[in-house]
Amino acid sequence: MTNYIGKAVKRVEDKRFLTGKGRYTDDIVLPGMLHAYIVRSPYAHAKIISIDTSAAEAMEGVVKVYTGKDIADSGVGGVPCGWQINFKNGDPMKEPPHPLLVADKARYMGDGVAVVIADTREIARDAGDAIEIEWEELPAVAHAKKATEAGQPLVHDDAPNNLCFDWELGNPKEEVDKALSHAHHVTTLEFTNQRVIPNAMEPRSAIGHFDESTDKYTLYTTSQNPHLTRLLLCAFVLGIPEHRVRVVAPDVGGGFGSKIFHYAEEALMIWCSQRLKVPIKWTSDRSEAFMTDAHGRDHVTKAEMGFDKEGHIVGLRINTHANLGAYLSTFAPAVPTWLHGTLLQGLYTTPKIHIDLCGVFTHTTPVDAYRGAGRPEATYLLERMMDVAALEMEMDPAELRVKNFIPPFDGVNEPGYQTQVALQYDSGDYHAVLKRALEMVGYDDFRKEQAEARKQGKLLGIGFSTYIEACGIAPSAVVGALGARAGLYEVGQVRVQPTGKVSVYTGAHSHGQGHETTFAQVVADRLGIPLDDVEIVHGDSESVAFGMGTYGSRSLAVGGSAIVKSLDKIIDKGAKIAAHKLEAAEEDLEFADGKWTVKGTDKSIAFGDIALTAYVPHDYPEGLEPGMDFSSFYDPANFTYPYGAHIAVVEVDQDTGQTKLKRFIAVDDVGNVINPMIVDGQIHGGLAQGIGQALFEGAMYDENGQLINGSYMDYTMPRADDLPSFEIDRTVTPCPHNPLGVKGAGEAGCIGSTPAVVNAVMDALRPFGIKKDLEMPLTPERVWRAMHS
Amino acid sequence: MQLKGSHRFPASAHTIFNMLMDADTLAKITPGVSTLEATGEDTYKAIANVKLGPVSGSFSGDLEVADKVAPQSFLLKIKQNSKIGNVSANVQIGLQEVGPEETELSFDGKANLSGLLARTGQRVLSGVANTLTKQFFQALEDELSQTRQHPA
Repeated sequence: MTNYIGKAVKRVEDKRFLTGKGRYTDDIVLPGMLHAYIVRSPYAHAKIISIDTSAAEAMEGVVKVYTGKDIADSGVGGVPCGWQINFKNGDPMKEPPHPLLVADKARYMGDGVAVVIADTREIARDAGDAIEIEWEELPAVAHAKKATEAGQPLVHDDAPNNLCFDWELGNPKEEVDKALSHAHHVTTLEFTNQRVIPNAMEPRSAIGHFDESTDKYTLYTTSQNPHLTRLLLCAFVLGIPEHRVRVVAPDVGGGFGSKIFHYAEEALMIWCSQRLKVPIKWTSDRSEAFMTDAHGRDHVTKAEMGFDKEGHIVGLRINTHANLGAYLSTFAPAVPTWLHGTLLQGLYTTPKIHIDLCGVFTHTTPVDAYRGAGRPEATYLLERMMDVAALEMEMDPAELRVKNFIPPFDGVNEPGYQTQVALQYDSGDYHAVLKRALEMVGYDDFRKEQAEARKQGKLLGIGFSTYIEACGIAPSAVVGALGARAGLYEVGQVRVQPTGKVSVYTGAHSHGQGHETTFAQVVADRLGIPLDDVEIVHGDSESVAFGMGTYGSRSLAVGGSAIVKSLDKIIDKGAKIAAHKLEAAEEDLEFADGKWTVKGTDKSIAFGDIALTAYVPHDYPEGLEPGMDFSSFYDPANFTYPYGAHIAVVEVDQDTGQTKLKRFIAVDDVGNVINPMIVDGQIHGGLAQGIGQALFEGAMYDENGQLINGSYMDYTMPRADDLPSFEIDRTVTPCPHNPLGVKGAGEAGCIGSTPAVVNAVMDALRPFGIKKDLEMPLTPERVWRAMHS
Repeated sequence: MQLKGSHRFPASAHTIFNMLMDADTLAKITPGVSTLEATGEDTYKAIANVKLGPVSGSFSGDLEVADKVAPQSFLLKIKQNSKIGNVSANVQIGLQEVGPEETELSFDGKANLSGLLARTGQRVLSGVANTLTKQFFQALEDELSQTRQHPA
């Protein structure tokens, strides 16, 4: 009757979203609220010689102007980093201060310099324009590898060569060197995984409100994890007591990682409100979003993969420069290291792997996690290598992959797979996803079709990508040992109301994921009650006890598991009450379809009656506490490891260089599926973003560190008509270590798709014998030039 | 942004050079310039209102003429600030007589843009710069023919 798990239940949150009734931070209007505008550096690197705010302060409607000096004078610390990486020699990474507004010099175009508080947003902006700043422009460096060379300008004086850290992972380097020197064939690629800009639909916004009468602070913010923001804001930035601070992340319109982090503007609004005693709102405009939302990717890599005669991989050696931008964003150091280096095993039995990586400061916007975070970079590297190697060794790219796949294992009867790069995969049948994808694309016929098309001058290409990701982030002790300054468990509270209706408080945060539906399906299914009887509450530190937020495809695997733990406690307690009411032994009861039944009889009692009894405990088990309200922390035993096979079919226009994506096949294994429609939606969205990186997107900086495509006129986003109707399917290998058997689906599409598209374009261009690898995005110009070089 | 091009004028190099060195003439013929005041020998303060593709703004800043070799060449140093970003450019101007009363003016330089100006619509800006250059040359030609009709 109430079997919800596995059903494509329509999203309950869509009623308000589709009718324009979502409540986003910028929709919130508080009595007496003022508006803030942040004056930002137009230069990537420049000394502030002087700031004159007098004209701005004299303008009607302007309440106050604060500069970086005011912040510094108030003794406020900067925005902290949440993850520590150590240099190879054991020294801690360089962690320069990241002030809320800079007082001395700007280190990237967009660095905040001053904030104007005024009656309206427009007045604040006009006043911002009236602030006179005398700058001394300094040379800047935007490219990660170049930044480490001698003589380059330094972003921070105490980080020589702009190095934040150097780092390595895998087998001893000599072993990998030896494996490669004995290899039958070595494939070498040098490439850039270009910087992309997340572009969430809703720009960032924050309202700081200090209420002098109660001595309490409220921050409304566009955050993927309000509790972590509260912790960082209170303990590390402003030094205000955590119990006096409420952080609310209401409806949030997309994040893709960029809203995980604690941003300076959040602390700045609280700091300003603390002084002016009124609520103050800041909302980013799109142009500001392009230059201040944390960017993603930006790796410069040289990779070498060795093979034996039969095509088995014998070793992999990697050297990467990862651009971190001008300051360390919250999780920045973790992304190129523990979320990237650890995935270089891929789906293959590579026996020797070594990565050398430098985290580098540059005069650019900070770089942090963006949908996939490190795992797309690892997948791009491996999957481009596999296609290039197949070409060089004259082997079929699908067969080469199959030859190197890790054999199937379920993680229950067979142990997990121990990689060379620290992780232990949970369960997987990697052959199955590729086999299914090859069937769907009709690979046997494709090569014939391609040969025919070539005869007619049509450039048809096929590209493969088989990926794995580490999701369900993450076991606290493990990430703690790797440098995380936080635990990565999740909290789930289930409160059964006296009438049997259920409120669930989750520390996960939904900003497009549909938690209000998926989590409700889990709860309704487990308790055997209608979906309508369940409410999911999230995003408010005042109602939700604690939480670590949503990112790393963790919400259901970690947050859902915490809820399941609480549901188990509810059912256990319910059984005690039911046993008392039914005058039976607890072990003689079974719970199904929302009622406890004495086994083998028709004696039963419904969930609602038990709930009422718990709150009106007149006829009640002795010694048992009244009420039905349980909270649980769930700390996962391992990461989860979704995987899949993606195939792209493209046609390249020989005259224009334009790539038409004709088909896209994605077969993903995300473990058990609660709501297939929502999972499909997650896959579709991820594919669009991954394809976007391959063909359209890329942040461009000029040699002065100026972002030169920071607008929708200049930065190309994928559009609906750029994309085919996706052909998707799934295999199901349950996660063996969480109670729902789920692995996570939020990032899969974005991780697998990018190399599949690039591989397909390179395959289409094969008749041209292009030797040099093409850099993403594969714009018509780049492709055309390659064909004509 | 690269700035490069040339244009032929029906006048001697000497005439063109003198016109370009005259602040009043220059203010009159440069698109968008409302004020051009000499602040020293070969330095000027300029105020201009320019619409550059998708963005428009009021610019103010300094112009400097350097490396003068009359009547063949000079270096124009431009520094203009605005609320939508700043421009700094060094442009080498060359004048070569290609016939009697015919001179080819060539320019070659680079403009560095910052701020909103840099990150919005930069790819259309070179088109805008071409348009502005054409307007400038047209105005210079008009000025030449007027001077001829009404010699000072």
